[in-house]
Amino acid sequence: MQHCTPEQLALAALREPLPDADAAHLDACAPCRDEVASLRRGVDALAVPELAAPSAAVAPPPSVWAAIAAGTGVRTAPRPEVLAAAPVAPPPPPLAAVRPQAGPEPDPEREPASAPVVPLRTGRSRLLLATAASLVVGAGIGAGAVALGTGSDEGVAVAAAALTPLADSGATGEARVVERSDGTRVLQVDLAAADPRGGFYEVWLLDEAVEDLVSLGVVRGGREVELTLPPGVDVGEFPIVDVSVEPLDGDPGHSGQSIARGTLES
Amino acid sequence: MTELLERRPVRVRVGSVSTDADPTPGYSPEPDDAEVGRRFAAGDEQALAWAYERFAGQVHGMAVRAFGPGPDAEDVTQQVFVSAWTGRAGYRPEQAPLPAWLVGVCRHKIADTWARRDRQRRAAEAAITEARTAPESTGPQVDTAVADRVLLLAELEQLGQPQRGIIELAFFEDLTHTQIAARTGLPLGTVKSHIRRTLERLRTRLEVDGAALHA
Repeated sequence: MQHCTPEQLALAALREPLPDADAAHLDACAPCRDEVASLRRGVDALAVPELAAPSAAVAPPPSVWAAIAAGTGVRTAPRPEVLAAAPVAPPPPPLAAVRPQAGPEPDPEREPASAPVVPLRTGRSRLLLATAASLVVGAGIGAGAVALGTGSDEGVAVAAAALTPLADSGATGEARVVERSDGTRVLQVDLAAADPRGGFYEVWLLDEAVEDLVSLGVVRGGREVELTLPPGVDVGEFPIVDVSVEPLDGDPGHSGQSIARGTLES
Repeated sequence: MTELLERRPVRVRVGSVSTDADPTPGYSPEPDDAEVGRRFAAGDEQALAWAYERFAGQVHGMAVRAFGPGPDAEDVTQQVFVSAWTGRAGYRPEQAPLPAWLVGVCRHKIADTWARRDRQRRAAEAAITEARTAPESTGPQVDTAVADRVLLLAELEQLGQPQRGIIELAFFEDLTHTQIAARTGLPLGTVKSHIRRTLERLRTRLEVDGAALHA
């Protein structure tokens, strides 16, 4: 059987779930497991709650500034009334709650649970995209259009959505609308989810009211798929990317069982 | 971490008509965080006081989370600001907001404190072993994770962007590669390959220097 890709092994070292087939391979393959273990030493050293991003603020006692002033020789000082006005933080949560330690290993046999069509959880994806501009990860990188690759044929991303799980499906992913130089548009979907038993995943575009929908096609978890957008579909009108589990029942409609969703933002 | 730390300048209100647009009498208008960062890098002493007003709570919160309230946490917070000030020549305001940089300095100080405690522990154990004239030849063991942390935090410093931002989101904000791609606007494949290369680089550093350190 084919080995996991180096990228997947790195994600496994970070304890991200792998697609079913790769997770099953990893379980059975000693060289792949060794690779994960060797990469994980760095993860385990640094990804600890004590070094995580700050959570609760705690005002230091005045002696701390006194020591800083003595150590640096600066003649300025923070204004006591400003320090006093700092919000009083609740005591920091116990460490276990700050950052969940290594979660349970993904069960390769577990099929993601599905959720009925429920009100959209757009808040998270909006939030993630909104913060993109403020994050410093290199000049020139923002949430806007991202030129893809080098070939002019590969097109330009004009909208993107982070797919977040519904209920406890655990399915995540990313979807991007890419416009080719010839004007055609595709939706690139990368879904991280174990494939369902007896059925398949279908991708839809929904309007914000979750009433009208356009079927785009079938995807599988764990690989990037391109689905052509029907000409004339306005992604402003159908901004929600929805992934459903469809049973093999011959019914072309939406099963009502969605596992992940996200809102396209341009 | 950035958005957690970026706070509006606190304005002292006098009376009830002061607005954010009005500088409070008695103080010059307060610069935003980016301006404080630039002045900090340039050695303006007032910027250290502003930085302390705005970010000491977050830094001390991290220190308290690691060591509990008390002298150890206070030492760490003090060291963060002293060492940030004396090492301000190494701060590049155009590459990272000041609070993010202070948080990075704080991680080093926490890791250094663990390493110092580990040395003290080994020294104490060695003394006990000697007193007992124990026959075994191996001395007290270095805590591998403690040593790894000091080494790898230094290695993170060497990373360029966007690699460093990506791995910090994975390590310190517990984001998945999908969330990192959404947050940064980078393609998923790019995020995945940077994660792989960075983890391989950290592994190489451990193989080269970690082994010597642990010998």
